Amino acid sequence: MSQSEPCPENHIEWSDSLIGHARELWRHRELLWLLTLREIKVRYKQTALGVAWAVVQPLSLMVVFTVFFSWFARIESDGIPYPLFSYAALLPWMFFSTSLSFAIPSLIANSHIITKIYFPREVIPLSAVLAALLDFLIASAAFVLLMIAYRVPPSWNLLYVLPIIAIQILFTVGMSLLLSAFTVLYRDVRHTLPLVIQIWMFVTPILYPASVVPERWRVWYFSLNPMAAIIDGYRRAILQQRPPQPGYLLLAAAVSCLLVLAGYKYFKHLEREFADIV
Amino acid sequence: MKIITLDNISKRYRLSQLGARSFREDFMRLFSRNGANTTDEFFALREVSLEIEAGEAVGFIGSNGSGKSTLLKLLARIVYPTYGKLTVRGSVASLIEVGAGFHPELTGRENVFLYGSIMGMRQSDVRAKFDRIVEFAEIERFIDTPVKRYSSGMYVRLGFAVAAFINPHVLLVDEVLAVGDASFQSKCLQRIEELRSSGMTIVFVSHDMTAVRRLCSRVFLLEQGHVKAEGAPREVINQYYDALGLKPEDRQ
Repeated sequence: MSQSEPCPENHIEWSDSLIGHARELWRHRELLWLLTLREIKVRYKQTALGVAWAVVQPLSLMVVFTVFFSWFARIESDGIPYPLFSYAALLPWMFFSTSLSFAIPSLIANSHIITKIYFPREVIPLSAVLAALLDFLIASAAFVLLMIAYRVPPSWNLLYVLPIIAIQILFTVGMSLLLSAFTVLYRDVRHTLPLVIQIWMFVTPILYPASVVPERWRVWYFSLNPMAAIIDGYRRAILQQRPPQPGYLLLAAAVSCLLVLAGYKYFKHLEREFADIV
Repeated sequence: MKIITLDNISKRYRLSQLGARSFREDFMRLFSRNGANTTDEFFALREVSLEIEAGEAVGFIGSNGSGKSTLLKLLARIVYPTYGKLTVRGSVASLIEVGAGFHPELTGRENVFLYGSIMGMRQSDVRAKFDRIVEFAEIERFIDTPVKRYSSGMYVRLGFAVAAFINPHVLLVDEVLAVGDASFQSKCLQRIEELRSSGMTIVFVSHDMTAVRRLCSRVFLLEQGHVKAEGAPREVINQYYDALGLKPEDRQ
């Protein structure tokens, strides 16, 4: 019999080494990619607009926000045209909220596979995050057009976007691992999630600039909510040609790294019971 | 070489865990005196120890609830043993409810690649075997149709075809032969025999004693989570029939 791989020794025991888990995940990278494609294909199948939905969703929110919050309610936007101002925050925010709303119930939604076939379970929530990331990148192309239309001058500060995206991905992955595993135990999360995401959006500078938060509260505002530091960082780097606030962003980065480690550990710890419970 | 070793394996299910839990229930449990009552525990397997040699074709028989499927799920790493040590030296693929990984919205072609990947195949490997898989499943015309438009027979045929072309060290087979029409069933059985003679280790769970006799060189009889008997197919199957109280003329 021809074997494509050398005979590995699979002790079916519980090992708690994160490096071992990560290595196994790496071996399943093709599966991760295929599940991501599946997520995207399925989402846009039998829709007339197809992938254009990735652009239409944030764009329509941006229009509504501009009409009601800028024209009618006259919310200030640090001197930046409000469509740009809100779109720059809406894009990463929708990446975050879409990731969570697909990743967190994903293990339950895929219970039919989990109870039948073994593979490292984290590919399921991770593929939901990756699919949202692809949507985010597509919608960003429209943002570039918007920036050209508004004649936003390019600057080297734009490069800060790369580390900020990295931090946001870490934070999102950490939250997704932690909460998707937790949801298998407690379905309550699924009902709480839409409300929490909505509240979270209002405590993050998306509709309004972070500068409207009173000075004495600002330390708490940025330290307790990594998404506030992340969104504010995007705005500074893209629209205001200045670097993000380093202290808050580094704090967000540290929190995100810890969250990924803790979330992965918790996920793998519960994983062995998924098929029994889900 | 021992390819599979079970050392004192027990698998416990908590009946209350079978449904979804909610915060409120667990919160209430904290305050109730008999928090950890043992009545809602259930052992699907109890202290099972056995060894399987590489290249063997082993059958597991027993009535419903005897622990056969739990045993296969343990070997497939879908569930974890509560106690004991389980070692499998090699890759495992399972023909347990084939097609479980299919997504109804995707086409047959897309699903072949996805399902292959879920089962641990490399994409290059699936690509190389793609034509043979489609030919085996006999659905060439419908390969680019979403599988939600498939008949249940086509669905299962495609699922089995993908699984039949993986090259694992150990193949787990659970009642898949009960699906599909007679000609496809015999084709599946033939394919499994082919794999067996190529040296693959096969673990077979079935109620179909004719198939067990045809495929297996050694049979285990499970009863209420214990290994009740082990040995040559004829004897163990007869012992099973005796335990069931079946008269010789009712036996397969």
